[in-house]
Amino acid sequence: MDKLFRQPIQLLYFIAFAGVFAFTGCGSKTNNPEPTTGKLTLHFSHKIDSEPIVFDDMRYVNAAGNHYLVNEIQYFISDVTLYHSNGTSLLLDQWEDIHYVDTDLPETQDYIFKDEIPQGTYDSISFTFGISEEKNHSLMFVNPPESFMFWPENLGGGYHYLKLNGKWLNELDQAAPFNFHLGIGQIYFSYPDSVSSFVQNYFRVILPASAFNLAVGETKSVEVIMNVENWFQSPNIYNHNTHGGDIMQKQHVMALAVENGWNVFTANTMTYK
Amino acid sequence: MKNKIVNTVVLILVFWFSGCTNKSTITPYVPTPYEIEIPFGFPTILNIPADNPMTVEGVELGRYLFYDGRFSGRTHPDSLMSCATCHRQERSFEAGVDHPGFPGGFPHGITGIPTPHAMLPMINLVWNTTGYGWNGLLYPTNPDPDARNIEDFVRMAALAPHEVNGDTTRIKNLFQTIPGYPELFEKAFGSKTITFTNIGKAIAQFARTLISANSKFDQYMHGEVQLSQPELNGYMLFTTEDGGDCFHCHGGFGNPLFTTHLFYNNGKDTVFNDIRDRFVITGDPMDHGAYKATTLRNIEVTGPYMHDGRFTTIEEVIDFYSTGVLSSPSISPLMHHVNNGGIRLTPQEKADLLSFIRTLRDDEFMTNPKFGKPEKFPDE
Repeated sequence: MDKLFRQPIQLLYFIAFAGVFAFTGCGSKTNNPEPTTGKLTLHFSHKIDSEPIVFDDMRYVNAAGNHYLVNEIQYFISDVTLYHSNGTSLLLDQWEDIHYVDTDLPETQDYIFKDEIPQGTYDSISFTFGISEEKNHSLMFVNPPESFMFWPENLGGGYHYLKLNGKWLNELDQAAPFNFHLGIGQIYFSYPDSVSSFVQNYFRVILPASAFNLAVGETKSVEVIMNVENWFQSPNIYNHNTHGGDIMQKQHVMALAVENGWNVFTANTMTYK
Repeated sequence: MKNKIVNTVVLILVFWFSGCTNKSTITPYVPTPYEIEIPFGFPTILNIPADNPMTVEGVELGRYLFYDGRFSGRTHPDSLMSCATCHRQERSFEAGVDHPGFPGGFPHGITGIPTPHAMLPMINLVWNTTGYGWNGLLYPTNPDPDARNIEDFVRMAALAPHEVNGDTTRIKNLFQTIPGYPELFEKAFGSKTITFTNIGKAIAQFARTLISANSKFDQYMHGEVQLSQPELNGYMLFTTEDGGDCFHCHGGFGNPLFTTHLFYNNGKDTVFNDIRDRFVITGDPMDHGAYKATTLRNIEVTGPYMHDGRFTTIEEVIDFYSTGVLSSPSISPLMHHVNNGGIRLTPQEKADLLSFIRTLRDDEFMTNPKFGKPEKFPDE
């Protein structure tokens, strides 16, 4: 065997050994530390008087005495934050944390967070109802169903925080549609053509009784309940006969709705998977 | 010795690649992917079935088939009918009230049987994910695999007595005999043997390229032009609840499709006995009298309007929404002006709203040669 023939063989040995060492090195670097995190899912449900909503049935009576039905509910929540018992807080999923919920689309009713969440005891959960001014930009969502929530530019732009559509029996006993919609409000210099300023109506919700423990490797599911009757009763008794079927251009009415919205959500028993 | 080694390696490589070549004597089927350009603000999710990817060759073939009257499966000049017989480019691929063969824009089939509904827009279909047809009878998750997408619409149109009244075997056999078509099918689908499934796929591919997104309003969205004061006034009416409140169903800046592709009872009637409304699909009583909200793009030229074509002009439609809306248990809650009979526009407001709606007209689309009739067919 001459020298010229031996050289390629040596080269092959060198490559083979180098490969073995390289992969061995990779293996030694990938020793995973002990996991310290779990996962969280929010499940959204919608109730009236503590019972799941029966849609399109004029069976409900609000605090003002209006008989009403609910046809559909669509809304955004964002900036979900967990408050740890050690005093720290954790904003989940950062900029990806705007979640759309639609009573007609079951797949939207579970919000599964991407972030791994450190184990421990959490005192409460809070979120923004709607979308903060910093994030609420037009054409941020180009795909449906989120894009169907757009809020017209001339009314402030961005997206509806809420569409709660239904009907009530008006003073003439007619079924009258209501579009209980929340988003950016307007202060008019000259109605309806001249807006002097816009009002950000998004608000923080701190879920009462939302403490939970999260163990390592566990997926915790928290039921977040929208108690629809509270949109119309506390602290402001909301009378559809007074406010009519549409409120997107009535900031004083949206302000009442915002105050009522603070008390709309509750958390229910944790379930474990 | 070194040369021997090199020669040996070269020989091995030559045999290796020769072997590969010998195994494949057929020209490989390699169509060219067709990329759909997403216009500004349009959805990025497209309704393209996995078994019919868009290709340049498929679109080209689809365009020929779309315009070829032999789609009827017949060759006598009096028996020709193609998609383009009803879907005219200059009317945004609808018939239009001035259609020379269909008075008032009401099409009928090759045997004279009227189509049961007025025509729907045939533009921007690739963004329709909720269902095709006035009641959405064709939708991607339909348990019936033959009722899911545009491909199925092609077959339905070929068979329906009120349309082509044809026979799919006869149609594909006819195209098989026409010089040039088998070669086009081979380029598009890898086989010269023509199937009706591939006819449907090719026409559906062409249909998905019919994108209208260059109206004056689009140019306004891009900051290229300014709207006139009447157009701006109309836009304000379009996008406000106290105005016309059109945007919740028909879109706007944030939804430039100018439709949600959803289904609404918009208050045209109080008695519902149409066997083709949305209720027939869902069984939901709230869907009695509900139909798809059509896109308003090019709406100016696509009369007659509503599912039954009851209105000839846009002015009549605006009058209806102004004072003609009727209440019923299934009326959409979005029709919140119903107990006033509608949105109660003044004559000036009606004119302004019409001015805005006219900004949605896309003449470039309606004259673009790449969507028009081919200069000649494959056998010419």
